[in-house]
Amino acid sequence: MKLRLLASTPAIETLIATAMLTTTSGASPISLFQGLSIKQAKVAEIVGRLEVQHGSILEHNRLDWLLEAGESEVLKILLANKFFTLTRLVSNEWLMSANLRTVLECQTEKNDFSKLLLESIKNVAPSVYAFGKHTY
Amino acid sequence: MKIELLAHTSSKELLATLPASEIPETEFLGHLSFTYAIEGISRACSHQLVRHRMASFSQQSQRYIQVKRLSEHVVTPPKLKNSVGNDFLSFIEAASNAYTKLVNEGIPREDARFVLPNATETSLLLTMDGRSLMHFFGLRLCNRSQWEVREVAEEMLNQARVTEPELFGGTGPNCVQLGKCPEGRFNCGRAMEMMTRYHKVK
Repeated sequence: MKLRLLASTPAIETLIATAMLTTTSGASPISLFQGLSIKQAKVAEIVGRLEVQHGSILEHNRLDWLLEAGESEVLKILLANKFFTLTRLVSNEWLMSANLRTVLECQTEKNDFSKLLLESIKNVAPSVYAFGKHTY
Repeated sequence: MKIELLAHTSSKELLATLPASEIPETEFLGHLSFTYAIEGISRACSHQLVRHRMASFSQQSQRYIQVKRLSEHVVTPPKLKNSVGNDFLSFIEAASNAYTKLVNEGIPREDARFVLPNATETSLLLTMDGRSLMHFFGLRLCNRSQWEVREVAEEMLNQARVTEPELFGGTGPNCVQLGKCPEGRFNCGRAMEMMTRYHKVK
């Protein structure tokens, strides 16, 4: 099985921090997003407090991967978590997408797929990656 | 009301990295997501938004955030802005007083909020994949949908068209998407007008 991240929502962690503060502060989400966009250290600090938040804040994004896998492996993925979207490209190549909540939920099972998933977000969501590494 | 498309997965970026293959548009849309910030809508409107289950929401919590000066933070329906609106304003004033009194008496915000009206303003983040967004436009741009959620859908579509004109340029309410009205006997009879309108702004 091979997995390669092709594309993702930009500024993922800024969106997560904006979602976290939208629910609990009186500030407007647009001004929160604009303010946090120029304060990445603050974003990392806020996203570092992930464990106290509802999982839905991790859903404001989408990641797209190229998955090389056989049908039985794809079936296992879909049975393990219904929130993956898969489109067959050619025989063993699939366009797969999901959000970060799904990525983290998959970490409760330790297997090659969950490890590949977590490693794939290292650059686009470093704080969430660190959280996943530390927690699971 | 203020709406901004904060971020989206770009179809061009994704297509550029994909191996050459044919993907039907409806399938492809499911791999893209769109995150909007929506501010200053009523709770009545947000209740309609959250009925779209294939979406994610992060909404201001009335448990954490105390509503201050309620009368300045309500959405007033246009039909209540004339003389019959006096009853509405009186009710908002009474709700505001009751809420403030409860909070000042030490009642938790999570309980005091029970007296807040549907007109109370709220803000939220909304994320939908492209396919769900198309479905949302089909339903909520319809003439039969409620005016406030229709305004929200209209502004969301305007911004989606700017960022992804090839995907959303030809879309509109269901009559525009399907080429005929699916509302049966509730048909507004204005399908041609809607097609002209949404194709004109394409």
